[in-house]
Amino acid sequence: MKYDRKSKLQIALLLLPGLLIFGIFTVYPIVRLFWMSFYKWDFGSFLEQDFIGLENYKTVLQDDNFHIAFSNTILYTLITVPAQMLIGLAVAMLINSVNHVKIGFRVAYYLPVVTSWVIASLVFKYVFNTEGLLNYFLVNVLHVTSQNIRWLDYRWGGMTVAMLLGIWKGIGWNMVVFLAALQTVPVELYESASLDGAGGLQKFVHITLPGIRSTILFALVMLTIGGFNVYTSTKLITGGKPGHDTEVVLTWMYYKAFSNGKFGYSAALSFIIAFVLAILAVVQFRLMQTKDEG
Amino acid sequence: MGIHKKNVVQIIIYALLVAGLVIVILPMIYMVSTSLKPNGALYEYPPRFFPDLKEITAENYLYILKQKKFLVNFANSIFVSGVTVALSAIVSSSLAFVIARFRFFGRRLLFGFIILTMIIPGTTMIVPQYELAVKIHAINSIFGLIPFYVAWVIPYSTFMIKGFVENIPRELDEATYMDGGDVWTVYKNVMIPLAKPGIASVSIFNFLTAWEEFPWANTVINDDVKRTLPIAISGFFGQHQFTQWGYVFALSVLSLIPIMVVFISCQRFFVKGLTAGSVKG
Amino acid sequence: MCNMKKMLAVLTISSICVATVTGCGNTAPAKAASNIGVDEADTSSQEVTINFWHHYSAQSSENETLNNVLIPKFEEENPGIKVNAVSHEWADLHDKLLISAESDTLPDVARLDSAWIPELQKMGILVPLNEEMSDFQDVSSGLLDSAMSTAEIDGKSYGLALNTNTKILYYNVKMFKDAGIEAPKTMEEFVKDCGILSGTNENGQQVWAYDEPGLSGWNLCPFIWSMGGSITNEEQTKATGYLNSDKTVAAIEMFAKLYKDGQITGWNSGDIPMTDGFGTGRYAMLLEGPWKVAELAGAYPDFEYATAPVPAGEGGSISVLGGEDISMFSSANKDAAWKFMKFMTGEFAQEEMAKCGQIPCSKAALESDTVKGSDFAPYIEQLKTAKSRPTVAGWSEIDSELASAVTEVVNGDKSAKEAMDELAERVDELLTE
Repeated sequence: MKYDRKSKLQIALLLLPGLLIFGIFTVYPIVRLFWMSFYKWDFGSFLEQDFIGLENYKTVLQDDNFHIAFSNTILYTLITVPAQMLIGLAVAMLINSVNHVKIGFRVAYYLPVVTSWVIASLVFKYVFNTEGLLNYFLVNVLHVTSQNIRWLDYRWGGMTVAMLLGIWKGIGWNMVVFLAALQTVPVELYESASLDGAGGLQKFVHITLPGIRSTILFALVMLTIGGFNVYTSTKLITGGKPGHDTEVVLTWMYYKAFSNGKFGYSAALSFIIAFVLAILAVVQFRLMQTKDEG
Repeated sequence: MGIHKKNVVQIIIYALLVAGLVIVILPMIYMVSTSLKPNGALYEYPPRFFPDLKEITAENYLYILKQKKFLVNFANSIFVSGVTVALSAIVSSSLAFVIARFRFFGRRLLFGFIILTMIIPGTTMIVPQYELAVKIHAINSIFGLIPFYVAWVIPYSTFMIKGFVENIPRELDEATYMDGGDVWTVYKNVMIPLAKPGIASVSIFNFLTAWEEFPWANTVINDDVKRTLPIAISGFFGQHQFTQWGYVFALSVLSLIPIMVVFISCQRFFVKGLTAGSVKG
Repeated sequence: MCNMKKMLAVLTISSICVATVTGCGNTAPAKAASNIGVDEADTSSQEVTINFWHHYSAQSSENETLNNVLIPKFEEENPGIKVNAVSHEWADLHDKLLISAESDTLPDVARLDSAWIPELQKMGILVPLNEEMSDFQDVSSGLLDSAMSTAEIDGKSYGLALNTNTKILYYNVKMFKDAGIEAPKTMEEFVKDCGILSGTNENGQQVWAYDEPGLSGWNLCPFIWSMGGSITNEEQTKATGYLNSDKTVAAIEMFAKLYKDGQITGWNSGDIPMTDGFGTGRYAMLLEGPWKVAELAGAYPDFEYATAPVPAGEGGSISVLGGEDISMFSSANKDAAWKFMKFMTGEFAQEEMAKCGQIPCSKAALESDTVKGSDFAPYIEQLKTAKSRPTVAGWSEIDSELASAVTEVVNGDKSAKEAMDELAERVDELLTE
């Protein structure tokens, strides 16, 4: 199809605002960040910087605190992503199978998603603090433990609270996405399977899952990115404490950049994260495609 | 017999859904009930989920509402989020429309690149974006927040709306061209009306993104009267380890109201809007 | 159907409405800001705005006094100068100053924790006042010498002492009476009392004898110094042999043991905040500064407490010197900024701030009836022996390394000796950087 001059102009005009904003406020900073990652760039040297090649990348990869932050992030992603998807899918299927108040359930289950991270983090911090409501409930009402559990004071406790928050806040989004996908699976498939005597589980494995495969992939990729983006919850719940044990990659990046002034370091760190995410995305796509063929 | 069994199953499903719901909304109810307790009762013993009826007080709310600066913070957040939503709806829908409908040099590359930037966490760009903000005099200005927010939501919005546009039959475009329409008329009369649910559903996300954004606003904004709500809320955590939780939760409850209004009034678009984007995408 | 056009329209309209509202809120500073350095403006009506950053907490009485008493008075006395005061959280202020320095968006004047002065001086952004201000001698001679020394580096003064403070022991009178003991005078007594006071209360809740809200230098130094330890040598060039000396290690070990025995706490994310824990009888003792009086009066007006000097050890009763300086940045409008700094360290402002619990540095204000009638006496006594934390450029980083190392010790990941040896080596590097 050939476009006349007027169409070309109109297409260009439609593209222009988006490309301008995107170019200036996203692409330029990325390029600049990439450039910064090869320079010795900190508060002591912000007037002139020395090119130091891959030195920043080396420093990041050898930093013990980065290893902790990175493994915390991986753990967070490994646990929260499948948990959100499973619970979200289960809720979606339940809502899909009821006849009344579907919308009511949908709205209510979605409420945590629209609660801001700052607020949700503060509520969780308040509920999980050593003298908080949850411990009172566990010790004095349920008697499952005789001592208050110090949720926020240790690496695994702090990460657990952050992960619970991540799952709690993510269920709604998954529920809606899967609910949408379930509408696209043809009802006839289920009907004919019933006639063949297939049970609920068989229908789920052979009809539902294949039918929503592309949505599963979509959610997987988006949530993995989301897992690496966790910042506000750990920052507000534990602040990375004790020591830097509950730091995740972004809080560590922010700390190095703005508290220590190591801009070059944090730029290199950013690209390491992006690189890992890119690899994960490719792997996820590959995995889903293999299943497709098999 | 079959009908009876079906009823039992339905009842179990409802019970499961309600039980799950209780767990899901429990933290929010606790927040509301805490905001209604007197400020001093927050480290009470034994801790209670609900305050006594005679104990319920609006003092935390009155304190917040009396301070003009929180109203200004509130207004700032509405302004920033509103403009971000409007701008990103226009910008992303036109990008999505052009990329979905027209062939031009570098089209796939452009779309791929837009998607690729999604994998770089926004917070990591905070240093170069800060430099940029200094250059364009966007430091300590609520107008400085908006273009950055719009740029952040473009990839996801464009991706979702593009999925939606691809579901709109091309015949409708053709018909409009036949009637003498041009690219602009197709965008305005075909694409915008039919992609409405998609645009609405990403707009809710975009509103939320801008409404709750914390690290960037916390870095860029200095003055009290220019702060957005998340910064105002976290401002209660001052030095000397002294946090007034009653005020924190009262302000938090108030800040949830607009987002609830936006969400509940447009929730019907949700499933529809996401179907096209996520399933086709 | 929720109409898309309608929705957009509603959003746009509400945004515009709101813009008008915010507009109102912003007019004053925006208008003022646009006047900075405007040459073409009519000089007779030219107005200067100076930006003043501080970390008086947003909801504090200090902040109220600043905005409602001091700034109006200053603006009245100095027509043509406006002050835009901005409150930051303490850690945020430090970070924001560093970021702003990088991007050349510094305020004119700031109230600085005196521990930050060396770091900021090294970046070359502070104005040496004794060289640039002709009446510097007159001003500084009116302020306490000990406090002025916190802003002095290599014979140059980079700030005026704004307020001084130190920590003393606060204790819960009823708990001490019930246990039949008096406030500890020595570190041995302190350790013994910790054992007596901790346990559970009538509700079965745990009670800790002592609360320490952090593990940085501000928190640990009183213990390290009082027990005869140190952070660095006198010249502040070396940590090995000091930070890992037997006495410093012994102080950290004491701290870790008390924590292990469930007698002290406070620095964990899940702990009860200091004021609430003290006011509700969950913590029996604290080391805190003069601001705590106003906080306790506000939150727990009926609570009965008393104060005493820091328990003495081999090194004496040594507390940590706190306090803030007011400094000018090189990008400032110097005349207006200097006027404001003189005003803030002048007798009137110092006396007003004294009413909010800030110990003045102005000699005249210290002699005033307000101060004489206040409860500052124990702090002023403790100040005589208080020491300042190392005044080195790398202090912020050293401080956070110290907190990390001690965290490992109290959590039992490392022995005190091991952790302090490693830390001393690391701090040696930071001191030479």
